[in-house]
Amino acid sequence: MYAQFFGNYLLSRGVITEEQLLSAIQKKSAGHMKLGTLAMYAGYMTANEVDQIVIMQTHQDARFGELAIKEGYLTETQVTDLLKSQTPDFLQLGQTLVDEKIIDNQQLQSLIIDYQSENEIYEEDYSNETRENINHLVENFFVIAERSLSSFEVSFIRLLFTNLVRFIGDDFTPVSPYCCREYPTNYCISQRINGHFSVRTYIDMPETACIEFASRYVNEDFTAFDEYVQSSLEDFLNLHNGLFNVNISNDYSIELALEPPQTETDELLTFQAETFLLPIVYPFGTIHFIFEIFKSE
Amino acid sequence: MILDDAKILIGDDSILARKQIKDMISEFGSPVFLEASNGQDCIDIYKKERPTLVFLDIVMPIKDGNAAIREIIEFDKNASIIIVSSVGTQSQLRSAIEAGAKDFIQKPLKSADIQHIITSRFERS
Repeated sequence: MYAQFFGNYLLSRGVITEEQLLSAIQKKSAGHMKLGTLAMYAGYMTANEVDQIVIMQTHQDARFGELAIKEGYLTETQVTDLLKSQTPDFLQLGQTLVDEKIIDNQQLQSLIIDYQSENEIYEEDYSNETRENINHLVENFFVIAERSLSSFEVSFIRLLFTNLVRFIGDDFTPVSPYCCREYPTNYCISQRINGHFSVRTYIDMPETACIEFASRYVNEDFTAFDEYVQSSLEDFLNLHNGLFNVNISNDYSIELALEPPQTETDELLTFQAETFLLPIVYPFGTIHFIFEIFKSE
Repeated sequence: MILDDAKILIGDDSILARKQIKDMISEFGSPVFLEASNGQDCIDIYKKERPTLVFLDIVMPIKDGNAAIREIIEFDKNASIIIVSSVGTQSQLRSAIEAGAKDFIQKPLKSADIQHIITSRFERS
């Protein structure tokens, strides 16, 4: 699930633009993982060595693996292991960016090293996605946004990522959140949470994205923007906020109240309180989550 | 009673949630389904139709689920009401049970939960 954060990491470092990221995410699943990238990721070869083999390949008709073995960079066992290894999602994104010539192997190598050390990702984390890991990534993510969070807000965002992975799919990238005072709506649902943590939550996306969102959420193939599709956005928001209330009740013994979700009919929303917009990019379109925070702790 | 002879009222403001509950129940038989999208409609339909079983959400417009349980139980103290809600906090659970609900299912809805409710209450048709 770390690809979403890698995408955001690249954006925040100015390595790529939002358009380049969106296009790379859409192409990602079609992309073919290269042995050189895997060898670089495993630490068997440097970017220079990979480039050298790629250049050699332009002169002779041989596979990357064969040449790397011949040049003494890899052993046969290493090649077999690499070909069998599971590719982390974020590396696929990196590969696509290299294929699209947005970054080169040298840049990819240093980005992988920096990203891994900043996020302390180790091999075992891929099979064991703990709550702490998500929590850590969330906090890191908001450092990028230059905004410190209350513990309620951290719980809320952490749960949101967890629920997106659980109910919609892990192929998303959160773009850095930003403050906003106004928002032009597409199809927009809101729900208010009241109490110690008082916030109006919004989910908004274009109608075409709603259809795919609903299909994933309900696990059925929807083809039209009908009442079930519309209802699935309400259902997701209500489920997320309900589970959040359960967590807050369990962790802090605080009961929050939930109002029924409602459809926003205004074309332009204007916000009274401090409001953050969090765009989540999926291959089917961008979901905007908006949090109008009346009371954060 | 066999399921096919039952009348089941589903009170939830989400048309999707109502459909999902109906689909899951329909795996076991074909009862008559009644639907309400808010607490008040739920009370009104209950009084008119006297359903065998009620599935009820808590967070609903006009009147919430807890208010609906109280009014339904006041009308019929033997009403079988099952809460299906995303807000399964201890205090919500307690107030629903105190008001007279028989069971509480935490969303996301799993067919095993519905299966348990249906098979424990109805004979196979």
